[in-house]
Amino acid sequence: MASAREDYDVRSVERGEVLRYLGYAGQALTPELDARIDEVVAHCLAICRPRGVTRVFGVAGRGEKGGVPVLRLSGTALELAGRSIAEHLEGAVAVGVLAVTVGMGAEAELRRLSLTDPTAQVIFDAAGTAAVERAADAAEASVVAEAHERGLFCGTRFSPGYGDLPLSTQPVLLDALDAGRLLGIRLSPALLMSPTKSVTAVVGLFERPRPEAHASCAGCPCRDFCVLLRAGSTCRG
Amino acid sequence: MTHDDTLAAALAGDGFLLFDGAMGTQLQERGLAAGELPELLCLSAPDQITAVHAAYVAAGADVVTTNTFGANAAKLGDAASVEEVFSAAVACARAARPRYVAADIGPTGQLLEPMGTLAFDDAYELFARQARAADAAGADLFVIETMADLAEAKAALLAVRENSDLPVLVTMTFQEDGRTFLGTTPEVAAVTLSALGADAVGINCSLGPRDVAPLVERMLPWASCPVMAQANAGLPRVEGGETRYDVGPEEYAAAVAGMLDAGVTIVGGCCGTTPAHIAAERSLLAGRRPAPRALRNCFAVAGPQRLVALAPGQVGVIGERINPTGKRKMKEALRSGNHDHVIAEAMAQERSGAQVLDVNAGLPEIDERAVMCRLVSELLSVTTLPLQIDSSDPAVVEAAVRSYPGKALINSVNGKAASLAAVVPIAARYGCALVGLTLDEDGIPATAEGRLAVARKIVAATDAAGIPRHDVAIDCLAMAASTDQTAPRAILDAIRAVKSELPGVRTVLGVSNISFGLPFRPLLNATFLAAALGAGLDLAIINPGVRRMMDVVDSWRVLSGEDEQARFYVEHYADRSDAPGAAPSPAGEKDAVPAPAAGLPADPVERARALVLDGRSEPMGEAMAEVLLGHDALFSINEVLVPALDEVGRRFEDGSFFLPQLMASAEAAKAGFEVVRAAAAPGDAAAAGKGEVVVCTVKGDIHDIGKNIVRMLLENYGFDVIDLGRDVDPEVVVRTVEERHVRLAGLSALMTTTVPAMAETIELLRERAPWCKVVVGGAVLTPEYAQMVGADFYAKDATETARIASEVLG
Repeated sequence: MASAREDYDVRSVERGEVLRYLGYAGQALTPELDARIDEVVAHCLAICRPRGVTRVFGVAGRGEKGGVPVLRLSGTALELAGRSIAEHLEGAVAVGVLAVTVGMGAEAELRRLSLTDPTAQVIFDAAGTAAVERAADAAEASVVAEAHERGLFCGTRFSPGYGDLPLSTQPVLLDALDAGRLLGIRLSPALLMSPTKSVTAVVGLFERPRPEAHASCAGCPCRDFCVLLRAGSTCRG
Repeated sequence: MTHDDTLAAALAGDGFLLFDGAMGTQLQERGLAAGELPELLCLSAPDQITAVHAAYVAAGADVVTTNTFGANAAKLGDAASVEEVFSAAVACARAARPRYVAADIGPTGQLLEPMGTLAFDDAYELFARQARAADAAGADLFVIETMADLAEAKAALLAVRENSDLPVLVTMTFQEDGRTFLGTTPEVAAVTLSALGADAVGINCSLGPRDVAPLVERMLPWASCPVMAQANAGLPRVEGGETRYDVGPEEYAAAVAGMLDAGVTIVGGCCGTTPAHIAAERSLLAGRRPAPRALRNCFAVAGPQRLVALAPGQVGVIGERINPTGKRKMKEALRSGNHDHVIAEAMAQERSGAQVLDVNAGLPEIDERAVMCRLVSELLSVTTLPLQIDSSDPAVVEAAVRSYPGKALINSVNGKAASLAAVVPIAARYGCALVGLTLDEDGIPATAEGRLAVARKIVAATDAAGIPRHDVAIDCLAMAASTDQTAPRAILDAIRAVKSELPGVRTVLGVSNISFGLPFRPLLNATFLAAALGAGLDLAIINPGVRRMMDVVDSWRVLSGEDEQARFYVEHYADRSDAPGAAPSPAGEKDAVPAPAAGLPADPVERARALVLDGRSEPMGEAMAEVLLGHDALFSINEVLVPALDEVGRRFEDGSFFLPQLMASAEAAKAGFEVVRAAAAPGDAAAAGKGEVVVCTVKGDIHDIGKNIVRMLLENYGFDVIDLGRDVDPEVVVRTVEERHVRLAGLSALMTTTVPAMAETIELLRERAPWCKVVVGGAVLTPEYAQMVGADFYAKDATETARIASEVLG
């Protein structure tokens, strides 16, 4: 059982984003700390190996289980339960499912730094978060491209654990993408993914463009990874 | 059941064995929904499963693999029992009338400790239940497959071997870079798993056959058993919503032909392969004979990511520093549980050229087994070097090597009957290399002949246990030249005798005893090491941080021819000189003197404060040393470091510092404290700690960043922090608190799913250690949540934790 795996070219992350994860709010930095942050971010990007798997499933139906709305998809045992996801995917005719990770190498390095250099661990962790978010952007771009082929339009990403979409969605979601085999993502009994720098999400595919997502290329997180843009078109038409 | 001898011949390496191809992709074509547990179809649609098996049997497969890849208790949950699934799966397979039914065991789906949360023993239990179920259901053999973690593969292999007598084949999955997701290479997998008793090792899944071929060929020289390959039919790609594999049967078989020529004897297919692929392989095998294989005659040990192999004539360095004997700081580290010093020693030895690290936790007053296991787990996270497990207690050795993800070296057995009876079976059972000391009930023989006699006794025992000779290293035991000047010659003669009289066996020596009681020991050690290498020594147990010793090793490798064309030597020694003024730069030591800090106050007190606020550790030692010239330790701490830290805390709270600044300041303060403590007289109250605090991340949670920050800050304020790490069992927390009567415990949880573990830990603390206050923190916690789980305090960040600690322990 397998779906195609993609490698993503994440060469940089926004320094501002890394700083934001670190709680930065305009404080004055010493040149030493400034250089150290740059060094650890570069080290992190050198170790990260961003990869992902995406699949698009049709919406099979909407129902209810124990008073909670449930969205069923065709060709998969994956079900999306909760009011927030129901609202997020209201009107969607298909759903893109994605899992991305920056790999076990970065996880091992975090563990090493935890024992040897806690300050570097904090910075590496923030850089890893930024990198895996970029990988998720890239995976979303793949879903956008597939939606475009089908004449559909994408909404924004939504992950298990947000709103009332339960974390217990993770086991089936990861199995549906064969993420263990293809990406090496493992799941603990507490539903924690390893590598911890991994993201799963779903994206709605709609018949009309969405005002909240991909409205302009300039502000689009998928821009750097967009095959449509590279081919001189856009996902909006 | 009628069996011919195909399997026996294949396992002896005298014949081929053809496995089946993919199950999962075949079921998907028949409409299996993505994410559905395919194993349950054995119960709900047995005919479909049998149909897949039957197609492979018709294609010529000798072996069909049960549809039980994920059939472990954790994955099946309440859907079905492991026993039900294996019973049905073996029946489905048997109904297709194959020659053999292989019970399939895949990974647990969870990540093992130390990176993940699944304990080795718990993984073992999951696999053991599968092994018993498959054995009872009547399988003919086992195939453990798609493993990415060597520790998990080891747990599965041990579980099958200890719960069934059936043959067991083990394959791992590799990426394009030639490593598993966890970094294991084909060589490491082959060495470790074949030594551990796998009946065949190999590669499955991963890549297409053309990319698998070079990887599986790398296993061939290192596996003392048949080697197998079950590649995918290329890399999957999605086309119009359908997953496709591009490598057709002819192309697949052509790549497999290359593997057969190289010596692979067990083949089949993985994802995307079909009965047509298997039929093509069947035609390929017709009329062929297994290709001859040449195994390396190497002393070989392995960590999960690194193989260290020494061919005859090559020499290896074992770092001796992780051993408390005669080392005050190492003793303190092992007693206190603060292993920073151990980790620093490990990394320094790796940098200096050690190839294996000796690990010894032998102190009378500690739980050696627990400390050894924790050390091994931590060292695995900071170094890729293979470990030498050094203990006189066989139970400690067994505990450490059983779960070690690699092939460890055991130090040691000796010629005493009791030692041979206890240690040799451990080395044999867990596939370890073994150091044998030439001493027995009569002590250490004075002569070379006497030592050789003990060595013979040891090698007779290892031969009988089936341990290959190249995995046995005899230590002829260096004795002090100062007490007996004939001793050095006797040792050198003994090394020569062992090498010539016990062919294949290697020698090892802890060198530094030779100089005991004499001045300028490094010189004697180095001279003796050179002589020992000349006598045929293979492995030297030394301090690689002593430059003189590594000089001997590096130069010997030129003279012996091991360092081909003296490449390493020229690269590293071209600039060395004994000329006056050209002092050798010791490895790992910085040449440059740090530039005087520009723009800083001249007054050392002011400068030290400024450095803490700026978070600059490097000039800190010098500044504090200057402070100590005019002030005592009490002043240095209470008037210099603590006020600076308080200011850092204030700035963090009011937002003028952010996290990395707080941590850099904490590092600088720590560097300052170290200078003060090193300078303080023993028993100086000012430099002594303010009391012990236990910190950890709770069971099930591996987020440790917050906990690490808290630890840094608490240490800064002079608390002795007992850091139990992450994913810590409540029992371990409570036991530590009880044993040391600790008055404050800090618990961290980052996920809503692990907050219950926090509540459970607090409940157990209340029950057994009611004196202990509890402070909790972590991203998901709030003051209300903290109250709900029964904590005494909620800390929103590290500085607040430090304040609470001062309140409780002050």
